Amino acid sequence: MNTQDRLTVPAAEAARLERSRRPGFNLLTMAAVVAALTIIIATTAGGYWLEIFTASFAVALAAAGTGLLYGRLGLISLCQYALVGIGGWVSLRVYHAFHPPFEICVLAGGLGASVIGVLWGLPAIRMRGLYLALATLMLAGAFQVVIANWSFPNGGTNFLGYMGDKPRVDMARPPFATAEAAYFVYVAVFLLLGLILLELHRQSKPGRAWALISRDERMAAASGVRIVFYKTWAFALAGFLAGIAGGLLAGCYGGLDSGAFSASQSILLFAVSVIGGVFDWPGAIFAGLMFGVPPAFLNYLGVNGYLATLLFGAGLIHALITAPTGVSGQVMGLIERLRRRRDAGTSS
Amino acid sequence: MIRIENLTVAFGGVRPLDNLNAELTAPIAGLIGPNGAGKTTLLNVLSGFVRPISGTVVLDDIDLLALSPIRRVAAGLRRTFQQELVVDDLTLWENIQAIADHVSQTRRDGEQDVDRAIAFVGLQRQKHLPGRRANLFERRMVEIAKTLVGRPKVILMDEPGAGLNESETERLRELLVAIPAEYDAQLVLIDHDADLIASVCVETLVLDFGKRLALGSTRTVLDDPIVRKAYLGNA
Repeated sequence: MNTQDRLTVPAAEAARLERSRRPGFNLLTMAAVVAALTIIIATTAGGYWLEIFTASFAVALAAAGTGLLYGRLGLISLCQYALVGIGGWVSLRVYHAFHPPFEICVLAGGLGASVIGVLWGLPAIRMRGLYLALATLMLAGAFQVVIANWSFPNGGTNFLGYMGDKPRVDMARPPFATAEAAYFVYVAVFLLLGLILLELHRQSKPGRAWALISRDERMAAASGVRIVFYKTWAFALAGFLAGIAGGLLAGCYGGLDSGAFSASQSILLFAVSVIGGVFDWPGAIFAGLMFGVPPAFLNYLGVNGYLATLLFGAGLIHALITAPTGVSGQVMGLIERLRRRRDAGTSS
Repeated sequence: MIRIENLTVAFGGVRPLDNLNAELTAPIAGLIGPNGAGKTTLLNVLSGFVRPISGTVVLDDIDLLALSPIRRVAAGLRRTFQQELVVDDLTLWENIQAIADHVSQTRRDGEQDVDRAIAFVGLQRQKHLPGRRANLFERRMVEIAKTLVGRPKVILMDEPGAGLNESETERLRELLVAIPAEYDAQLVLIDHDADLIASVCVETLVLDFGKRLALGSTRTVLDDPIVRKAYLGNA
């Protein structure tokens, strides 16, 4: 086979590659999938299950942040669920202090978690692997200790917004999304916007810079990439998504329980993110659903939901050994193989 | 033009470069020597990844050692690595655009630079192919295209032909020869393929144990008995 033969891509495949590279193509696919999933769940699930799916979609945003750090940059961050808690704390505090529109509370949560994530991440930014994992796990541990003492704001007037054991003042949802189904759709819109934000990053300058850094930091530096700047950007974006998730969870339950934000939850979120897949956008949705649905299903069956942790452990080992791209990578790979088979059939 | 004066690099007691002096002025200069001669160390010094204990390196009129790796890129220095470093998850176009993002003046300039580089290396049909599906020759072409965006002044290529077959090496040779005229850039080429060096490089610097063994026209250098003994193993 000579060089020119090897350089030839079938016309049908070249056209498909051109089509799939268009910026709007992935976004439309993403919107269609999230919309279809949302409609199916909103019309079939109710009560308890709708609340579980709402929380799962919110957590999917945080998992998308984990995917950004690990899938795009190879950075193991074990504080993502703590950042969810930080975002929830800020959202609740802003709500109880000022009663602004719900979206402002959620955005404040995102910004708060983003700032904390960057401040913690900056000293750790030159670390990789185990050292970064440990440094970020320390943040998760620190948050667990702090929130156990502070608790989440529940309507108090002091700095912490906590008024002891008095009945909690719930965070009000947006007026058009007070019903469970409407709020689920509302969270799904946030999830879609978060995934779009990440996809737009992936398709533009920062996403390409992250890819170079992930491939080889020296090559990236020799290409003019400011490595610390782009890593900090990734930490900020991942923290923002986690904080948004925290605000949405606070809206889902009306408030948050400090016992739900142990450091082990951050490790669990990382595990389900890897199982779901950190390299493709559907992985975040798989991860969110795995984080919320199996424990709830076990509880529904009368079995302790923590048993799901064992299943996730087995799933993680399976993913690391046989499917490092996770569930989403396997699904996307299958779709790609089917497309190529179709293109080969078209051109022959 | 690259001028190297009294350049010494020390790793503990080892000196991969030892008081090296050389001036590379030809449009395509070769850098050869046996394994461990200090070739890649010299490229790492030029790129800013290795700090010498003494000496100066001047690129045109710029004191290169005073600049950070990123500022050296802004000054027009480009390089490839021994291992091809195409990102599997990006398309070939995106792999090159990722460099243009940081070295081209404007976004429009960047896109034009990428299109021109892709046409130059002949990857128009494959430009939207994911990196993971590119073969070795296509990946090597991407590595070369990455160095051509954003007005390069000096391009350092570390074994760009590694792993290529005969016909692919011939195509590579045509491209390398065309770069100085097409891009107004100087090319410094490291390769173990003496035929490639002989057919492409106007002048060649030979290193041995971190010292300059020879510098001159490629034909003269390759015919030098001392060079043949040290590098090619026969006199």
